[in-house]
Amino acid sequence: MNAPTVRVLYIDDEENNLNAFKASFRRQYEIYTATSAAEGLKILENIDVHVIIADQKMPEMTGVQFFKSITHTFPDPVRILLTGYTDIEALADAINHGDIYRYITKPWSDLELHNSIKNAYDAYKSKIDLRNKIAELEKTNDELNRFIYSISHELRAPLVSVIGIVNLVKMEDLFESSGEYWSLIETCSNKLDYYIQKTLQYYKNNKNITEHSQVDFRKLISELIDLYSYTDRETQFNIKIDQEVDFMGDAFRIEVILGNLISNAIKYQKTTEANKKVNIDIVVTTQHVEISINDNGMGILNEHLEKIFTQFFKSKNHHGSGLGLFIVKEALNKINGKISVISDIAIGTTFKIKIPNGTNQ
Amino acid sequence: MAQISDQKRVMIIDDNEVDLKINSKIISITKLFDEVIICQSAEEALNFLQRNLGDNQILPNFILLDIQMPEMDGFEFLEHYRKLPVSFTQTCWIAMLSSTLDFGDIQKAEANPYVVKLLKKPLKPAELQEILNRYYK
Repeated sequence: MNAPTVRVLYIDDEENNLNAFKASFRRQYEIYTATSAAEGLKILENIDVHVIIADQKMPEMTGVQFFKSITHTFPDPVRILLTGYTDIEALADAINHGDIYRYITKPWSDLELHNSIKNAYDAYKSKIDLRNKIAELEKTNDELNRFIYSISHELRAPLVSVIGIVNLVKMEDLFESSGEYWSLIETCSNKLDYYIQKTLQYYKNNKNITEHSQVDFRKLISELIDLYSYTDRETQFNIKIDQEVDFMGDAFRIEVILGNLISNAIKYQKTTEANKKVNIDIVVTTQHVEISINDNGMGILNEHLEKIFTQFFKSKNHHGSGLGLFIVKEALNKINGKISVISDIAIGTTFKIKIPNGTNQ
Repeated sequence: MAQISDQKRVMIIDDNEVDLKINSKIISITKLFDEVIICQSAEEALNFLQRNLGDNQILPNFILLDIQMPEMDGFEFLEHYRKLPVSFTQTCWIAMLSSTLDFGDIQKAEANPYVVKLLKKPLKPAELQEILNRYYK
């Protein structure tokens, strides 16, 4: 493999130094020289340079001043400063402001300078490689997310047609006509729809944009209860909402979080319980909102408590997707919220959430 | 408001034949409308409306409009719909009907002055009934 071409720009007002440098290194590097900062800048504008060596003591502009002046315009080339022994102040300034990779004293030793350029080039290359890798990963990630989104849409459209047909069968009183087949189709379709909806929620939560809008918890909670208690009319809700002040936050994520928790509270009831209950307590202050969702359902085993927020964790006996609480946790992470859980098989489960109020930001 | 005929007519615009069949069947079972006008594309619907402008015995008084359709989608249809004479558009409300769960779509739809609601597929008769009660006294 051929050694890569390393392009070095050397700026020094003393032409003898430039010539000596060229004589020593012309075989190893592609060398560009300039006798002033202004001339160096011109070269930078036209040539993709990897390593810049600048002399500190130059009329008009010093090496450090030059490096400072290109911090934003040419951040990539790695910088080496050449200067005399005694110039401690220049050295401090260079390290603090010039983003200098190496400091080499004059007169240089060829070996030392050669090694420094080599190392500087490696540093340059890893910086660029890393940036390319990040860009590549972001692109892949983005494509994957878009794929998830579009496939979920495409899958959901025909599924919704199937659910529509089942509804039609009910309306025409044919639901019981083939034993339990129709009800099995309905159960499977609803389950599939649930998975697709969770996948979409996961996708949307993955996007980094956070929304900042007013949240009215009374309205939100009553909408969510209407939505999720649709299939279960037995559960009693006790709702206490204390919201005297405005709350600003990410309405979509808050809806996803509360929706998942309320739907879980309804879904994981004890079948034998006569008084199925869900208590929702919300207190909004100018600092944050504290939400507690408590049920007298089947509870969570102690040894499972640590795992419930991980992706695809599901308990053996219950039919979940293993996504609900994972999405809750991910969504809370994005909006700096916190969640804790207390559960007892005999008593039920309580989730407590705290989300900062965006009005004081 | 302009004179409306006694007959209640709904136009369903959807490229998906299965959904067209399901939804027109639901409407005929529930008898929420007397007549269903079926259009398999937004262009077909626009042509029908333009051809029959002024004829209150043929024009619909309600439209169920799908969002995702090839060529002209539901939102583009609304752009053209705006340009129809007010004498017609003020007698005919639109509900969008879609399997979308996209927050943006929902907000965009309900912000449109002609759209009363975005209904999620599958169409539920109770939801449709509620809209009709509210907008057609």
